[in-house]
Amino acid sequence: MSAVVPPTVAGGAAAPAGAPPLIVEHVAKSYDADGRIVPVIGDLSLNLNEGEIVAIVGPSGCGKTTLLNTLCGLISADAGRICWHGREISGQPAGVGYMLQKDLLLPWRTALGNVMLGLEIRGVPLSDAEERSHVVLDKLGLHGFAEHYPTTLSGGMRQRVALARTLVNEPDVLLLDEPFAALDFQTKLLIESDTARLVRESRRSVLLITHDIEEAVSIADRVIVLSKRPTRVKAVYDIALASDRTDMIAARESPGFVDYVRRIWADLDVARN
Amino acid sequence: MDASARFIPMDAPATDDRAAARLAAHRRARRRATALVLLSQFALLAAFIAFWEYMTAFDRQAAFMFGSPSAIAGFLVTMASDGSLWRDTYVTGVETLLGFAVGNVIGTLIGLSLWYSRFVSRVIEPFVIALGSIPIIALAPIIIIWFGTGLMSKIAMSTLSVVIVALVTSYKGAIGVDEDQINLMRTLGASKFQIFRKLVVPASLTDIFAGLKLTVGFALIGAIVGEFMSSSEGLGHAIFKAGSLYIIPKVFAALVATIALALLLTFLVGKVEKRLMPWRRLG
Repeated sequence: MSAVVPPTVAGGAAAPAGAPPLIVEHVAKSYDADGRIVPVIGDLSLNLNEGEIVAIVGPSGCGKTTLLNTLCGLISADAGRICWHGREISGQPAGVGYMLQKDLLLPWRTALGNVMLGLEIRGVPLSDAEERSHVVLDKLGLHGFAEHYPTTLSGGMRQRVALARTLVNEPDVLLLDEPFAALDFQTKLLIESDTARLVRESRRSVLLITHDIEEAVSIADRVIVLSKRPTRVKAVYDIALASDRTDMIAARESPGFVDYVRRIWADLDVARN
Repeated sequence: MDASARFIPMDAPATDDRAAARLAAHRRARRRATALVLLSQFALLAAFIAFWEYMTAFDRQAAFMFGSPSAIAGFLVTMASDGSLWRDTYVTGVETLLGFAVGNVIGTLIGLSLWYSRFVSRVIEPFVIALGSIPIIALAPIIIIWFGTGLMSKIAMSTLSVVIVALVTSYKGAIGVDEDQINLMRTLGASKFQIFRKLVVPASLTDIFAGLKLTVGFALIGAIVGEFMSSSEGLGHAIFKAGSLYIIPKVFAALVATIALALLLTFLVGKVEKRLMPWRRLG
Protein backbone atom coordinates (compact mmCIF):
# COMPACT_ATOMS: atom_id res chain seq x y z
CA MET A 1 0.00 0.00 0.00
CA SER A 2 1.47 3.34 -0.94
CA ALA A 3 1.08 6.65 0.84
CA VAL A 4 -2.65 6.81 0.45
CA VAL A 5 -4.81 8.68 2.91
CA PRO A 6 -6.09 5.84 5.06
CA PRO A 7 -9.57 4.84 4.04
CA THR A 8 -12.18 6.03 6.49
CA VAL A 9 -13.74 2.64 7.10
CA ALA A 10 -16.02 2.90 10.09
CA GLY A 11 -14.31 1.18 13.01
CA GLY A 12 -12.10 -0.52 10.48
CA ALA A 13 -9.94 -2.33 13.03
CA ALA A 14 -10.87 -5.82 11.93
CA ALA A 15 -10.88 -5.15 8.20
CA PRO A 16 -8.87 -7.90 6.55
CA ALA A 17 -5.60 -6.47 5.32
CA GLY A 18 -5.31 -6.30 1.58
CA ALA A 19 -8.98 -6.90 0.92
CA PRO A 20 -10.10 -5.13 -2.27
CA PRO A 21 -12.12 -1.95 -1.62
CA LEU A 22 -15.22 -3.49 -3.16
CA ILE A 23 -16.41 -7.03 -3.77
CA VAL A 24 -19.84 -7.75 -5.20
CA GLU A 25 -20.98 -11.39 -5.02
CA HIS A 26 -24.10 -12.75 -6.67
CA VAL A 27 -26.16 -9.61 -6.14
CA ALA A 28 -29.76 -9.68 -7.38
CA LYS A 29 -32.44 -7.03 -7.30
CA SER A 30 -36.03 -6.98 -8.54
CA TYR A 31 -38.67 -4.32 -8.65
CA ASP A 32 -42.34 -4.65 -8.02
CA ALA A 33 -44.24 -3.05 -10.90
CA ASP A 34 -48.00 -3.23 -10.29
CA GLY A 35 -47.76 -6.62 -8.64
CA ARG A 36 -45.47 -8.09 -11.28
CA ILE A 37 -41.93 -8.79 -10.20
CA VAL A 38 -39.47 -7.35 -12.67
CA PRO A 39 -35.92 -8.64 -12.18
CA VAL A 40 -33.43 -5.85 -12.86
CA ILE A 41 -30.16 -7.33 -11.69
CA GLY A 42 -30.00 -11.08 -12.33
CA ASP A 43 -26.82 -12.34 -10.73
CA LEU A 44 -23.94 -9.95 -10.65
CA SER A 45 -20.43 -10.41 -9.31
CA LEU A 46 -17.50 -8.08 -9.72
CA ASN A 47 -14.66 -6.61 -7.73
CA LEU A 48 -12.74 -3.40 -7.64
CA ASN A 49 -9.10 -3.45 -6.61
CA GLU A 50 -7.19 -0.67 -4.97
CA GLY A 51 -6.06 2.09 -7.32
CA GLU A 52 -8.02 0.56 -10.18
CA ILE A 53 -10.43 2.28 -12.55
CA VAL A 54 -13.20 -0.05 -13.66
CA ALA A 55 -15.78 0.98 -16.22
CA ILE A 56 -19.16 -0.68 -16.52
CA VAL A 57 -20.92 -0.49 -19.85
CA GLY A 58 -24.23 -2.01 -20.78
CA PRO A 59 -27.23 -1.56 -23.01
CA SER A 60 -29.51 1.24 -21.93
CA GLY A 61 -31.98 0.30 -19.24
CA CYS A 62 -29.85 -2.56 -18.01
CA GLY A 63 -30.03 -1.48 -14.40
CA LYS A 64 -26.72 0.35 -14.10
CA THR A 65 -28.18 3.02 -11.89
CA THR A 66 -29.95 0.42 -9.76
CA LEU A 67 -26.58 -1.26 -9.29
CA LEU A 68 -24.96 1.99 -8.24
CA ASN A 69 -27.74 2.84 -5.78
CA THR A 70 -27.44 -0.65 -4.34
CA LEU A 71 -23.69 -0.24 -3.90
CA CYS A 72 -24.22 3.12 -2.18
CA GLY A 73 -26.60 1.58 0.28
CA LEU A 74 -29.46 3.75 -0.94
CA ILE A 75 -31.46 0.62 -1.79
CA SER A 76 -30.83 -2.90 -0.52
CA ALA A 77 -30.20 -5.93 -2.66
CA ASP A 78 -32.54 -8.94 -2.62
CA ALA A 79 -29.70 -11.42 -2.59
CA GLY A 80 -25.94 -11.60 -2.60
CA ARG A 81 -23.18 -9.82 -0.71
CA ILE A 82 -21.56 -6.43 -1.06
CA CYS A 83 -18.30 -6.07 0.85
CA TRP A 84 -16.48 -2.80 1.29
CA HIS A 85 -12.88 -3.43 2.36
CA GLY A 86 -13.78 -6.97 3.19
CA ARG A 87 -16.79 -6.25 5.39
CA GLU A 88 -20.49 -6.23 4.80
CA ILE A 89 -22.04 -2.91 5.76
CA SER A 90 -25.67 -2.01 6.13
CA GLY A 91 -26.55 1.51 4.98
CA GLN A 92 -24.09 3.98 3.50
CA PRO A 93 -20.50 2.81 3.21
CA ALA A 94 -17.92 5.27 4.55
CA GLY A 95 -15.24 6.72 2.32
CA VAL A 96 -17.25 6.41 -0.87
CA GLY A 97 -17.80 9.38 -3.15
CA TYR A 98 -20.74 9.52 -5.50
CA MET A 99 -21.20 11.60 -8.63
CA LEU A 100 -23.95 11.69 -11.21
CA GLN A 101 -24.57 13.16 -14.64
CA LYS A 102 -26.56 15.92 -12.96
CA ASP A 103 -24.13 18.12 -11.06
CA LEU A 104 -26.66 18.55 -8.21
CA LEU A 105 -24.98 21.75 -7.08
CA LEU A 106 -26.99 23.74 -4.56
CA PRO A 107 -27.88 27.02 -6.31
CA TRP A 108 -27.81 29.03 -3.08
CA ARG A 109 -24.24 28.07 -2.34
CA THR A 110 -21.16 29.39 -4.12
CA ALA A 111 -18.75 26.96 -5.79
CA LEU A 112 -16.73 26.96 -2.57
CA GLY A 113 -19.84 26.45 -0.44
CA ASN A 114 -20.86 23.48 -2.56
CA VAL A 115 -17.44 21.87 -2.29
CA MET A 116 -17.48 22.37 1.49
CA LEU A 117 -20.84 20.59 1.89
CA GLY A 118 -19.49 17.15 2.77
CA LEU A 119 -16.87 18.49 5.18
CA GLU A 120 -19.49 20.66 6.85
CA ILE A 121 -21.77 17.68 7.28
CA ARG A 122 -18.97 15.73 8.92
CA GLY A 123 -18.29 18.63 11.28
CA VAL A 124 -14.86 19.63 9.99
CA PRO A 125 -14.00 23.12 11.38
CA LEU A 126 -15.03 25.82 8.92
CA SER A 127 -11.62 27.38 8.27
CA ASP A 128 -10.10 23.95 7.72
CA ALA A 129 -12.94 22.97 5.36
CA GLU A 130 -12.54 26.21 3.44
CA GLU A 131 -8.80 25.73 3.01
CA ARG A 132 -9.13 22.13 1.83
CA SER A 133 -11.90 23.08 -0.59
CA HIS A 134 -9.81 25.88 -2.06
CA VAL A 135 -6.97 23.43 -2.66
CA VAL A 136 -9.21 21.00 -4.59
CA LEU A 137 -10.84 23.79 -6.61
CA ASP A 138 -7.40 25.05 -7.58
CA LYS A 139 -6.33 21.54 -8.65
CA LEU A 140 -9.33 21.36 -10.96
CA GLY A 141 -8.53 24.68 -12.60
CA LEU A 142 -11.26 26.63 -10.82
CA HIS A 143 -8.97 29.12 -9.15
CA GLY A 144 -10.77 32.45 -8.97
CA PHE A 145 -14.24 30.94 -9.30
CA ALA A 146 -14.71 29.95 -5.66
CA GLU A 147 -17.16 32.76 -4.94
CA HIS A 148 -19.26 32.22 -8.08
CA TYR A 149 -22.77 30.88 -7.83
CA PRO A 150 -23.45 27.79 -10.01
CA THR A 151 -25.83 29.71 -12.28
CA THR A 152 -22.90 31.81 -13.49
CA LEU A 153 -20.73 28.80 -14.36
CA SER A 154 -20.64 26.82 -17.60
CA GLY A 155 -21.69 23.15 -17.68
CA GLY A 156 -18.09 21.96 -17.68
CA MET A 157 -17.16 24.15 -14.73
CA ARG A 158 -20.21 23.04 -12.79
CA GLN A 159 -19.23 19.41 -13.29
CA ARG A 160 -15.70 20.25 -12.12
CA VAL A 161 -17.20 21.77 -8.97
CA ALA A 162 -19.20 18.57 -8.50
CA LEU A 163 -15.99 16.55 -8.91
CA ALA A 164 -14.25 18.80 -6.37
CA ARG A 165 -17.16 18.27 -3.97
CA THR A 166 -16.60 14.51 -4.31
CA LEU A 167 -12.79 14.56 -4.07
CA VAL A 168 -12.53 16.96 -1.12
CA ASN A 169 -13.89 14.23 1.15
CA GLU A 170 -10.93 12.07 0.12
CA PRO A 171 -13.01 9.01 -0.67
CA ASP A 172 -11.02 5.85 -1.32
CA VAL A 173 -13.65 4.73 -3.82
CA LEU A 174 -15.50 6.88 -6.33
CA LEU A 175 -18.78 5.71 -7.83
CA LEU A 176 -19.44 7.70 -10.98
CA ASP A 177 -22.71 7.40 -12.88
CA GLU A 178 -22.24 8.86 -16.36
CA PRO A 179 -20.71 12.00 -14.87
CA PHE A 180 -19.45 13.35 -18.19
CA ALA A 181 -22.34 12.36 -20.43
CA ALA A 182 -23.89 15.82 -20.68
CA LEU A 183 -20.67 17.62 -21.59
CA ASP A 184 -19.44 18.60 -25.02
CA PHE A 185 -16.64 16.52 -26.50
CA GLN A 186 -13.61 18.72 -25.74
CA THR A 187 -14.74 19.52 -22.20
CA LYS A 188 -15.40 15.84 -21.64
CA LEU A 189 -11.89 14.79 -22.69
CA LEU A 190 -10.30 17.41 -20.47
CA ILE A 191 -12.37 16.56 -17.40
CA GLU A 192 -11.80 12.83 -17.98
CA SER A 193 -8.04 13.47 -18.13
CA ASP A 194 -8.15 15.57 -14.95
CA THR A 195 -10.19 12.92 -13.17
CA ALA A 196 -7.80 10.16 -14.25
CA ARG A 197 -4.78 12.21 -13.17
CA LEU A 198 -6.19 13.11 -9.72
CA VAL A 199 -7.48 9.61 -9.07
CA ARG A 200 -4.34 7.80 -10.20
CA GLU A 201 -1.91 10.05 -8.37
CA SER A 202 -3.69 9.41 -5.07
CA ARG A 203 -4.36 5.73 -5.90
CA ARG A 204 -8.10 5.97 -5.38
CA SER A 205 -10.37 3.37 -6.94
CA VAL A 206 -13.11 4.27 -9.39
CA LEU A 207 -16.20 2.46 -10.57
CA LEU A 208 -17.44 4.34 -13.62
CA ILE A 209 -20.81 3.60 -15.12
CA THR A 210 -21.10 4.83 -18.67
CA HIS A 211 -22.76 4.15 -21.99
CA ASP A 212 -19.82 5.64 -23.85
CA ILE A 213 -17.56 2.77 -24.93
CA GLU A 214 -14.71 5.06 -25.99
CA GLU A 215 -14.79 6.77 -22.64
CA ALA A 216 -14.70 3.39 -20.89
CA VAL A 217 -11.74 2.09 -22.90
CA SER A 218 -9.72 5.30 -22.70
CA ILE A 219 -10.01 5.81 -18.95
CA ALA A 220 -10.37 2.35 -17.41
CA ASP A 221 -8.02 -0.48 -16.50
CA ARG A 222 -10.86 -2.91 -16.88
CA VAL A 223 -14.16 -2.73 -18.72
CA ILE A 224 -17.07 -4.87 -17.58
CA VAL A 225 -19.79 -5.42 -20.15
CA LEU A 226 -23.25 -6.08 -18.77
CA SER A 227 -26.07 -7.96 -20.45
CA LYS A 228 -29.63 -6.82 -20.92
CA ARG A 229 -32.01 -7.12 -17.97
CA PRO A 230 -31.89 -9.17 -15.84
CA THR A 231 -28.33 -7.97 -15.73
CA ARG A 232 -25.32 -10.29 -15.58
CA VAL A 233 -21.68 -9.79 -16.43
CA LYS A 234 -21.33 -10.64 -20.09
CA ALA A 235 -17.65 -10.01 -20.66
CA VAL A 236 -14.63 -8.46 -18.97
CA TYR A 237 -11.78 -6.73 -20.80
CA ASP A 238 -8.44 -5.86 -19.26
CA ILE A 239 -7.40 -2.73 -21.09
CA ALA A 240 -3.70 -2.55 -21.86
CA LEU A 241 -2.79 0.62 -23.70
CA ALA A 242 0.79 1.79 -24.12
CA SER A 243 -0.04 5.46 -23.68
CA ASP A 244 -0.02 7.71 -20.60
CA ARG A 245 -3.25 6.63 -18.90
CA THR A 246 -4.06 10.13 -17.68
CA ASP A 247 -4.19 11.57 -21.18
CA MET A 248 -7.46 10.72 -22.89
CA ILE A 249 -6.40 12.01 -26.28
CA ALA A 250 -3.24 9.88 -26.26
CA ALA A 251 -5.29 6.89 -25.11
CA ARG A 252 -7.67 7.27 -28.02
CA GLU A 253 -4.78 7.43 -30.47
CA SER A 254 -2.85 4.47 -29.12
CA PRO A 255 -2.83 1.19 -31.05
CA GLY A 256 -5.31 -1.32 -29.73
CA PHE A 257 -7.85 1.31 -28.69
CA VAL A 258 -10.06 0.89 -31.71
CA ASP A 259 -9.88 -2.87 -31.41
CA TYR A 260 -11.17 -2.81 -27.83
CA VAL A 261 -13.98 -0.45 -28.80
CA ARG A 262 -15.02 -2.74 -31.66
CA ARG A 263 -15.05 -5.87 -29.57
CA ILE A 264 -17.05 -4.24 -26.77
CA TRP A 265 -19.44 -2.76 -29.30
CA ALA A 266 -20.00 -6.25 -30.70
CA ASP A 267 -20.57 -7.59 -27.18
CA LEU A 268 -23.20 -4.99 -26.46
CA ASP A 269 -25.16 -6.27 -29.40
CA VAL A 270 -26.85 -2.90 -29.74
CA ALA A 271 -28.40 -3.58 -33.13
CA ARG A 272 -30.45 -6.47 -31.82
CA ASN A 273 -31.70 -4.74 -28.68
CA MET B 1 -8.62 26.33 -19.39
CA ASP B 2 -11.21 25.19 -21.87
CA ALA B 3 -14.21 26.07 -19.79
CA SER B 4 -13.05 29.45 -18.60
CA ALA B 5 -12.40 30.55 -22.17
CA ARG B 6 -16.06 30.14 -23.06
CA PHE B 7 -17.24 31.49 -19.76
CA ILE B 8 -18.10 35.16 -19.45
CA PRO B 9 -18.47 36.31 -15.84
CA MET B 10 -21.41 38.63 -15.25
CA ASP B 11 -19.24 41.48 -14.05
CA ALA B 12 -16.41 41.01 -16.52
CA PRO B 13 -14.99 44.26 -17.75
CA ALA B 14 -15.55 44.52 -21.49
CA THR B 15 -12.24 43.86 -23.08
CA ASP B 16 -12.68 45.67 -26.33
CA ASP B 17 -14.51 48.86 -27.22
CA ARG B 18 -16.83 47.25 -29.73
CA ALA B 19 -18.02 44.75 -27.16
CA ALA B 20 -18.54 47.58 -24.68
CA ALA B 21 -20.52 49.54 -27.26
CA ARG B 22 -22.66 46.51 -28.07
CA LEU B 23 -23.33 45.95 -24.40
CA ALA B 24 -24.29 49.60 -23.89
CA ALA B 25 -26.60 49.52 -26.90
CA HIS B 26 -28.21 46.36 -25.56
CA ARG B 27 -28.77 48.00 -22.17
CA ARG B 28 -30.23 51.13 -23.80
CA ALA B 29 -32.64 49.00 -25.83
CA ARG B 30 -33.75 47.16 -22.71
CA ARG B 31 -34.28 50.42 -20.81
CA ARG B 32 -36.29 51.80 -23.73
CA ALA B 33 -38.52 48.71 -23.71
CA THR B 34 -39.13 49.11 -19.96
CA ALA B 35 -39.90 52.82 -20.40
CA LEU B 36 -42.41 51.95 -23.13
CA VAL B 37 -44.19 49.47 -20.85
CA LEU B 38 -44.39 52.02 -18.04
CA LEU B 39 -45.64 54.70 -20.42
CA SER B 40 -48.34 52.37 -21.79
CA GLN B 41 -49.47 51.48 -18.27
CA PHE B 42 -49.69 55.16 -17.35
CA ALA B 43 -51.59 55.97 -20.55
CA LEU B 44 -54.06 53.14 -19.93
CA LEU B 45 -54.73 54.36 -16.39
CA ALA B 46 -55.05 57.99 -17.52
CA ALA B 47 -57.48 57.03 -20.28
CA PHE B 48 -59.60 55.04 -17.84
CA ILE B 49 -59.73 57.91 -15.34
CA ALA B 50 -60.53 60.43 -18.08
CA PHE B 51 -63.35 58.22 -19.40
CA TRP B 52 -64.73 57.79 -15.88
CA GLU B 53 -64.56 61.54 -15.20
CA TYR B 54 -66.20 62.35 -18.53
CA MET B 55 -69.05 59.85 -18.08
CA THR B 56 -69.88 61.18 -14.62
CA ALA B 57 -69.30 64.90 -15.24
CA PHE B 58 -72.67 65.66 -16.85
CA ASP B 59 -74.82 62.95 -15.28
CA ARG B 60 -75.70 63.44 -11.64
CA GLN B 61 -77.15 59.96 -11.29
CA ALA B 62 -74.03 58.35 -12.71
CA ALA B 63 -71.90 60.55 -10.47
CA PHE B 64 -73.91 59.32 -7.47
CA MET B 65 -73.73 55.67 -8.48
CA PHE B 66 -70.11 55.50 -9.58
CA GLY B 67 -68.44 58.50 -7.96
CA SER B 68 -66.01 60.45 -10.04
CA PRO B 69 -62.23 60.56 -9.99
CA SER B 70 -62.27 64.22 -8.98
CA ALA B 71 -64.66 63.54 -6.10
CA ILE B 72 -62.53 60.57 -5.01
CA ALA B 73 -59.44 62.77 -5.08
CA GLY B 74 -61.34 65.37 -3.05
CA PHE B 75 -62.20 62.78 -0.40
CA LEU B 76 -58.60 61.56 -0.32
CA VAL B 77 -57.44 65.13 0.36
CA THR B 78 -60.04 65.66 3.13
CA MET B 79 -59.32 62.29 4.72
CA ALA B 80 -55.61 62.97 4.56
CA SER B 81 -55.92 66.39 6.15
CA ASP B 82 -58.24 65.28 8.98
CA GLY B 83 -55.84 62.38 9.63
CA SER B 84 -58.43 59.59 9.21
CA LEU B 85 -56.77 58.30 6.05
CA TRP B 86 -53.46 57.73 7.84
CA ARG B 87 -55.10 56.39 10.96
CA ASP B 88 -57.27 53.87 9.06
CA THR B 89 -54.43 52.79 6.78
CA TYR B 90 -52.15 52.37 9.78
CA VAL B 91 -54.69 50.28 11.70
CA THR B 92 -55.46 48.00 8.75
CA GLY B 93 -51.74 47.83 7.93
CA VAL B 94 -50.88 46.63 11.43
CA GLU B 95 -53.68 44.04 11.43
CA THR B 96 -52.63 42.79 8.02
CA LEU B 97 -48.93 42.62 8.86
CA LEU B 98 -49.48 40.78 12.12
CA GLY B 99 -51.93 38.32 10.57
CA PHE B 100 -49.57 37.86 7.62
CA ALA B 101 -46.61 37.22 9.92
CA VAL B 102 -48.36 34.89 12.36
CA GLY B 103 -50.15 32.95 9.62
CA ASN B 104 -47.04 32.50 7.51
CA VAL B 105 -44.78 31.55 10.41
CA ILE B 106 -47.23 28.92 11.68
CA GLY B 107 -48.15 27.67 8.20
CA THR B 108 -44.57 27.47 6.97
CA LEU B 109 -43.30 25.76 10.12
CA ILE B 110 -46.00 23.10 9.87
CA GLY B 111 -45.65 22.75 6.10
CA LEU B 112 -41.88 22.29 6.23
CA SER B 113 -41.92 19.96 9.22
CA LEU B 114 -44.44 17.72 7.47
CA TRP B 115 -41.52 16.80 5.19
CA TYR B 116 -40.17 14.83 8.13
CA SER B 117 -42.96 12.31 8.19
CA ARG B 118 -44.76 10.99 5.17
CA PHE B 119 -47.06 9.18 7.59
CA VAL B 120 -48.16 12.29 9.49
CA SER B 121 -48.62 14.30 6.31
CA ARG B 122 -50.80 11.57 4.82
CA VAL B 123 -52.87 11.41 8.00
CA ILE B 124 -53.57 15.14 8.14
CA GLU B 125 -53.93 15.77 4.40
CA PRO B 126 -57.76 15.49 4.22
CA PHE B 127 -58.11 17.72 7.27
CA VAL B 128 -55.91 20.37 5.70
CA ILE B 129 -57.97 20.25 2.51
CA ALA B 130 -61.19 20.48 4.54
CA LEU B 131 -59.94 23.46 6.54
CA GLY B 132 -58.62 25.11 3.40
CA SER B 133 -62.01 24.93 1.73
CA ILE B 134 -63.82 26.83 4.51
CA PRO B 135 -64.63 30.37 3.37
CA ILE B 136 -63.02 32.51 6.03
CA ILE B 137 -65.94 34.94 6.01
CA ALA B 138 -68.10 32.15 7.38
CA LEU B 139 -65.90 32.06 10.47
CA ALA B 140 -66.10 35.80 11.14
CA PRO B 141 -69.06 35.73 13.56
CA ILE B 142 -67.39 33.04 15.69
CA ILE B 143 -64.07 34.85 15.61
CA ILE B 144 -65.74 38.01 16.95
CA ILE B 145 -67.27 35.98 19.77
CA TRP B 146 -63.94 34.34 20.60
CA PHE B 147 -61.60 37.27 20.20
CA GLY B 148 -63.81 40.31 20.77
CA THR B 149 -64.27 43.32 18.53
CA GLY B 150 -60.77 44.74 18.87
CA LEU B 151 -57.43 44.18 17.18
CA MET B 152 -57.21 40.48 18.11
CA SER B 153 -60.22 39.40 16.07
CA LYS B 154 -58.83 41.13 12.94
CA ILE B 155 -55.45 39.48 13.41
CA ALA B 156 -57.18 36.13 13.87
CA MET B 157 -59.18 36.62 10.66
CA SER B 158 -56.08 37.64 8.78
CA THR B 159 -54.05 34.73 10.18
CA LEU B 160 -56.73 32.22 9.23
CA SER B 161 -56.83 33.56 5.68
CA VAL B 162 -53.09 32.99 5.36
CA VAL B 163 -52.16 29.91 7.30
CA ILE B 164 -53.46 27.12 5.05
CA VAL B 165 -52.00 28.65 1.89
CA ALA B 166 -48.64 29.08 3.63
CA LEU B 167 -48.79 25.48 4.84
CA VAL B 168 -49.61 24.05 1.43
CA THR B 169 -47.04 26.09 -0.53
CA SER B 170 -44.19 25.37 1.88
CA TYR B 171 -45.07 21.66 2.06
CA LYS B 172 -45.16 21.53 -1.73
CA GLY B 173 -41.72 23.13 -1.81
CA ALA B 174 -40.34 20.71 0.76
CA ILE B 175 -41.55 17.50 -0.88
CA GLY B 176 -40.56 18.81 -4.33
CA VAL B 177 -36.85 18.59 -3.49
CA ASP B 178 -34.95 16.50 -6.05
CA GLU B 179 -34.61 12.88 -4.88
CA ASP B 180 -31.07 12.68 -6.32
CA GLN B 181 -30.10 15.72 -4.28
CA ILE B 182 -31.34 13.99 -1.12
CA ASN B 183 -29.41 10.83 -2.07
CA LEU B 184 -26.29 12.92 -2.58
CA MET B 185 -26.68 14.41 0.90
CA ARG B 186 -27.11 10.88 2.27
CA THR B 187 -23.96 9.63 0.58
CA LEU B 188 -22.12 12.63 2.07
CA GLY B 189 -23.25 11.25 5.43
CA ALA B 190 -25.92 13.81 6.25
CA SER B 191 -28.41 13.10 9.03
CA LYS B 192 -32.10 13.70 8.40
CA PHE B 193 -31.90 17.01 10.26
CA GLN B 194 -28.87 18.09 8.20
CA ILE B 195 -30.73 17.24 5.00
CA PHE B 196 -33.65 19.30 6.29
CA ARG B 197 -31.60 22.31 7.30
CA LYS B 198 -29.01 22.41 4.52
CA LEU B 199 -31.18 21.23 1.62
CA VAL B 200 -34.94 21.14 2.19
CA VAL B 201 -35.35 24.54 3.85
CA PRO B 202 -33.28 26.58 1.39
CA ALA B 203 -34.69 24.64 -1.57
CA SER B 204 -38.22 25.47 -0.40
CA LEU B 205 -37.56 29.22 -0.24
CA THR B 206 -38.74 29.77 -3.80
CA ASP B 207 -42.13 28.22 -3.04
CA ILE B 208 -42.30 29.90 0.36
CA PHE B 209 -41.83 33.31 -1.22
CA ALA B 210 -44.41 32.53 -3.89
CA GLY B 211 -46.73 31.81 -0.95
CA LEU B 212 -45.76 35.04 0.79
CA LYS B 213 -46.63 37.10 -2.27
CA LEU B 214 -49.94 35.32 -2.61
CA THR B 215 -50.86 35.70 1.06
CA VAL B 216 -50.27 39.46 1.23
CA GLY B 217 -53.63 39.85 -0.48
CA PHE B 218 -55.29 37.16 1.65
CA ALA B 219 -54.05 38.77 4.86
CA LEU B 220 -55.51 42.11 3.76
CA ILE B 221 -58.84 40.50 2.85
CA GLY B 222 -58.95 38.82 6.27
CA ALA B 223 -58.30 42.10 8.08
CA ILE B 224 -60.90 44.00 6.06
CA VAL B 225 -63.56 41.31 6.45
CA GLY B 226 -62.86 41.42 10.18
CA GLU B 227 -63.39 45.17 10.15
CA PHE B 228 -66.63 44.77 8.18
CA MET B 229 -68.06 42.60 10.93
CA SER B 230 -67.36 44.91 13.78
CA SER B 231 -64.89 47.73 14.21
CA SER B 232 -64.41 51.39 15.01
CA GLU B 233 -61.46 52.13 12.76
CA GLY B 234 -59.50 50.82 9.78
CA LEU B 235 -59.97 50.96 6.02
CA GLY B 236 -62.62 48.22 6.11
CA HIS B 237 -64.49 50.25 8.67
CA ALA B 238 -64.24 53.36 6.45
CA ILE B 239 -65.45 51.45 3.38
CA PHE B 240 -68.33 49.86 5.27
CA LYS B 241 -69.44 53.14 6.85
CA ALA B 242 -69.21 55.19 3.64
CA GLY B 243 -71.04 52.42 1.77
CA SER B 244 -73.89 52.33 4.29
CA LEU B 245 -74.26 56.10 3.90
CA TYR B 246 -74.18 55.89 0.08
CA ILE B 247 -71.06 58.09 -0.11
CA ILE B 248 -69.63 56.14 -3.03
CA PRO B 249 -66.60 58.34 -3.82
CA LYS B 250 -65.49 57.89 -0.23
CA VAL B 251 -65.72 54.10 -0.63
CA PHE B 252 -63.44 54.39 -3.64
CA ALA B 253 -61.08 56.71 -1.77
CA ALA B 254 -60.66 54.11 0.98
CA LEU B 255 -60.23 51.46 -1.71
CA VAL B 256 -57.41 53.45 -3.28
CA ALA B 257 -55.68 53.46 0.11
CA THR B 258 -56.26 49.69 0.38
CA ILE B 259 -54.68 49.09 -3.03
CA ALA B 260 -51.73 51.30 -2.10
CA LEU B 261 -51.27 49.29 1.11
CA ALA B 262 -51.35 45.98 -0.80
CA LEU B 263 -48.80 47.27 -3.32
CA LEU B 264 -46.52 48.50 -0.56
CA LEU B 265 -46.61 45.16 1.27
CA THR B 266 -46.01 43.18 -1.94
CA PHE B 267 -43.09 45.45 -2.74
CA LEU B 268 -41.59 44.85 0.72
CA VAL B 269 -41.92 41.05 0.33
CA GLY B 270 -40.11 41.33 -3.01
CA LYS B 271 -37.30 43.30 -1.33
CA VAL B 272 -36.89 40.69 1.40
CA GLU B 273 -36.89 37.93 -1.23
CA LYS B 274 -34.05 39.55 -3.17
CA ARG B 275 -32.16 40.01 0.07
CA LEU B 276 -32.59 36.40 1.20
CA MET B 277 -32.01 34.73 -2.17
CA PRO B 278 -29.15 36.65 -3.79
CA TRP B 279 -28.35 33.72 -6.13
CA ARG B 280 -31.66 34.12 -7.93
CA ARG B 281 -30.69 37.48 -9.36
CA LEU B 282 -27.88 35.82 -11.29
CA GLY B 283 -29.86 33.11 -13.05
